[in-house]
Amino acid sequence: MVRAAATVACMPGPDTAPFVDRPDGDLAREVASAPAGQAAAAEGELYRRFARRVRLFGVKHLRDDMAADDLAQQVMLIAIERLRAGEIRNPDEIGSFILSTSRMVATGLRRTERRREHLHMRMEAGEPVDMPRDERLFDADRIKPCLASMRERERTILLLTYYVERSATEIAAAMGMTAGAVRVARHRAVAAMRDCLDARRSA
Amino acid sequence: MTTRPSPCLSIGELSDYWTTDISLDEIEHIEAHVFECSACTQLLADADLLRRGIGDVARTGGFQAFVTDSLLNQFARDGVRVRTYAMDAGGSVQCAVWDDDDVLVTRLRADFSGVTAIDAVLRLETGEEWGRTSDVPVPAGSHELIMALPAEFVRRAPEVPIRLSLRSTSASPGDAPLAEYTFDHRGALSRRSR
Repeated sequence: MVRAAATVACMPGPDTAPFVDRPDGDLAREVASAPAGQAAAAEGELYRRFARRVRLFGVKHLRDDMAADDLAQQVMLIAIERLRAGEIRNPDEIGSFILSTSRMVATGLRRTERRREHLHMRMEAGEPVDMPRDERLFDADRIKPCLASMRERERTILLLTYYVERSATEIAAAMGMTAGAVRVARHRAVAAMRDCLDARRSA
Repeated sequence: MTTRPSPCLSIGELSDYWTTDISLDEIEHIEAHVFECSACTQLLADADLLRRGIGDVARTGGFQAFVTDSLLNQFARDGVRVRTYAMDAGGSVQCAVWDDDDVLVTRLRADFSGVTAIDAVLRLETGEEWGRTSDVPVPAGSHELIMALPAEFVRRAPEVPIRLSLRSTSASPGDAPLAEYTFDHRGALSRRSR
């Protein structure tokens, strides 16, 4: 499975540029209508779009980066194989299909010990899912001054939410606020942090 | 380009996905949207990187804030090296940081009855302001606030007494402070040189 998944991961070799502006459904139809393996560019573009979504889903539900990489590759392999086989009846709903497949595969990974085996194998042979965003924008050295520039209560809310992993209700009790006010302040703080990071990048 | 079946979400709303207090319905709503929308996929990924970055900053003690015991417990679990002092209102403490300290924590005790938020100001003995924090929330019934400073920040402090004044955010300019504390700063100490 890992070797096959890596094959899918390596598909974006062909020039995917002609497909960049095409809707997801068009790409899915292109894969479904072509002879197996003959729509490599469309498959590559589908992979590029959806693998990172599945990976984010995996990070949330499996709480493990390598397991999330593994999930992304397994799900994309299934999706492309099903498209090639003409087994997806409505290609316009490819996103919905990939999401439901993600749920199913993640459940399977959680239920069995296969997850550990996959992780072990991936450490030897796998490839990480491509994350195109410049991750350096979010490194600690860049975040530190932006965090320092926040209002005190917003800074504390971000730390308690993302470092200590406390709920809005718990944070509200600790800070003498309501849970709703904590969530609103958190939304504002996250947006301000991203603006600050973007501004520093531009500068 | 992808179709967008529902209105896009803000990065603030998407960041809820990475919290512990989001409901299953909200998770499913975000996932259904993100799997149809590439722009929101990017925002969700940014929110993920942001939360990881905040965690990285916290694990190095690289922030100044009023914190909770739960955050100090997380420090302990992560092996963050914390030096702790405690003072009553009007108190003074001889303080220093060691070269392997990450964070300096001070438990500031006082009567905060009726106070919902405070402003905190650090001044050198010359009167020069050395740091300020505004609108620190004070939960009802609190008798203590916990101030965390990066050890790196304290290492750069002059070796002189530094006074911390806490005032109610709603106080008038002429009102006396709620509490004052003196850090008799003795500098940065190195285990290697002893």
